[in-house]
Amino acid sequence: MSTTTLDAPEARTPSSTVPVKKVTFGRLLHSEWIKLWSLRSTWWTLGSTVVILVGFGFMMAIIAQLFTDQMSDMSAEEQAATGGEQLFTAPIVITGGYEFAALVVAVLGSMLITGEYSTGMIRSTFTAAPHRLGAYFAKATVLAGVTAVLIAVSLALAWLVTYPILDSNGITVDWGDSDQVRQLYGTVLYTVLVALFALGVGTLIRHTAGAIFTVVAIFLVIPIVFGIATFAASQVSWVLDVNKFLPSIAGSAITPAAAQTPEVLDPWVGAGVLAAYTAAVLIAGAISLKTRDA
Amino acid sequence: MIEAHGLAKRYGSKTAVDHITFTVQPGRVTGFLGPNGAGKSTTMRMIMGLDKPTAGTVTVNGHPYAKLRRPLAEVGALLEAKAVHSGRSAFNHLRALAATHGIPQQRVHDVIELTGLESVAKKRVGGFSLGMGQRLGIAAALLGDPKTLILDEPVNGLDPEGVIWVRNLAKHLASEGRTVFLSSHLMSEVALTADHVIVIGRGRILADTSVDDLIAASERKHVRVRSPQAGDLAALLREKDAQVTTPEADVLEVTGPDAASVGELAAAGRIVLHELTPIKSTLEEAYMSLTADAVEYRSENLAGGAGEPPRDGSQAAGAHLAEGPAASADHAAEPHPGRHSADTVPASSSPEVNDR
Repeated sequence: MSTTTLDAPEARTPSSTVPVKKVTFGRLLHSEWIKLWSLRSTWWTLGSTVVILVGFGFMMAIIAQLFTDQMSDMSAEEQAATGGEQLFTAPIVITGGYEFAALVVAVLGSMLITGEYSTGMIRSTFTAAPHRLGAYFAKATVLAGVTAVLIAVSLALAWLVTYPILDSNGITVDWGDSDQVRQLYGTVLYTVLVALFALGVGTLIRHTAGAIFTVVAIFLVIPIVFGIATFAASQVSWVLDVNKFLPSIAGSAITPAAAQTPEVLDPWVGAGVLAAYTAAVLIAGAISLKTRDA
Repeated sequence: MIEAHGLAKRYGSKTAVDHITFTVQPGRVTGFLGPNGAGKSTTMRMIMGLDKPTAGTVTVNGHPYAKLRRPLAEVGALLEAKAVHSGRSAFNHLRALAATHGIPQQRVHDVIELTGLESVAKKRVGGFSLGMGQRLGIAAALLGDPKTLILDEPVNGLDPEGVIWVRNLAKHLASEGRTVFLSSHLMSEVALTADHVIVIGRGRILADTSVDDLIAASERKHVRVRSPQAGDLAALLREKDAQVTTPEADVLEVTGPDAASVGELAAAGRIVLHELTPIKSTLEEAYMSLTADAVEYRSENLAGGAGEPPRDGSQAAGAHLAEGPAASADHAAEPHPGRHSADTVPASSSPEVNDR
């Protein structure tokens, strides 16, 4: 054993000229911010969200236009029978594509973490942030912030694009109506919760395809199945009871879509139910992240 | 400084790392040598806090990795698998890592320059060759100017120029008083780069010794003698405390005295010699014999019983070790861990693997 060489080098610890600071949540946020914007998939998903919301809004506006044209040919009794007044409110038109936008944002949320697991990036992430949870919540924070701004901006654009058509038909956002205003920021809240839900699912499943499949099943397929069930068996009370507690149906209570759903929870109760699901999935993800090998 | 105590990792019923204890000292390059599947990468992942040990502890510079406040300043790691998002550019990858520690952007440019990645830094990592990926991994490891470096198979995929660059880099970093822990499955690579070597096989430490000692041990020579009076010569040699084996009729393999002594002894005993050849085993052979019973995946298994799982095959190989590992007899940290495998030898298969 050449033990003679051991002691001498130990005495002179290498002096570093590189300024390296402690890992803080703020620095992790900065890192996640760089990571998010340095991937093309981010630009694709965010771009399609804008296109979907504005496009659907425009489409809904044209349908509303055609509908009111038809209404004007009807007699007063016929108009009352259709209940046309409630069918197209400005928030319904503007948020027309919100379910699809939520799914795209869910893809972004899942890929934020599954992309790291599938490429091995997660090892670099955890090497820099060995506590792990800091990086996870930094991801969640960046995702929530970016989603909120993205949806708010998209809805604003949808409002601008549809304004000329809606205004000519007398359908405009009543900024004095607290319900309408709540429906608009409720849609922002809903998509943020779905994105975070997807982040949690992605952390649990770790595979992009599996995570997206799961989120689509929960937010799109199951509601459709229950939609048929509630239509076919509307007198069976438990179907309606379960239906209104599904993540997507409960969460939608705070969006304009609540008006089109047979039986929904109160807006804030519904949002609370979805928030509870999201919190549960995020916590399960955090436990998995912390305990499983990377 | 890396210190592992009773470190173990099991995956289901398979033990990847079997209660190993070792210390990696600063100021020198320590090689971590072992065949594929020996537990090198698992050990390194446990050091980095990526895998949770089933038992035991491991600390870096005195702390478990997860407790480090500025981990990139303490440890830089190049891990075996690519740890980079393929859709991100090398520059952005390093920038994101640097941001976690508030490391200035200038340092990112410095490590890119140091690793020779300037021309591809803005390209997406997905299109990188293995060698460029390794360089990026080394750049990431150096980002925080760490006191300890962990490099898992760093020369994999590098061109000759890159291999020499990594060797010199490792030596240079160690000379600055840093701890450098470098894994390889190639003895020759470790011999050229490392000062000290920890040999691992089947999750156990087979040797923990200086490279010089390992080389000295491997240079144990023997002499091959062919003689029609082989029996008489063997008797004479044994009187002089030489070790003698008879691999084939009229041939002796003599360990102990050199060729000249054997020749003189034969002359004195009036014994006719037809051949007198000094044979020097290489470093690679020393390593092969050291890990012979610890190899997880060996090609010779095909010779064993059909349908037999590889594990049994290699255990059988362990039983057929004629003389036992040459070097580990002198330097094994624990008495012949590999030998335990001989207990469960299936009688059927008998691959001849040690005739190299």
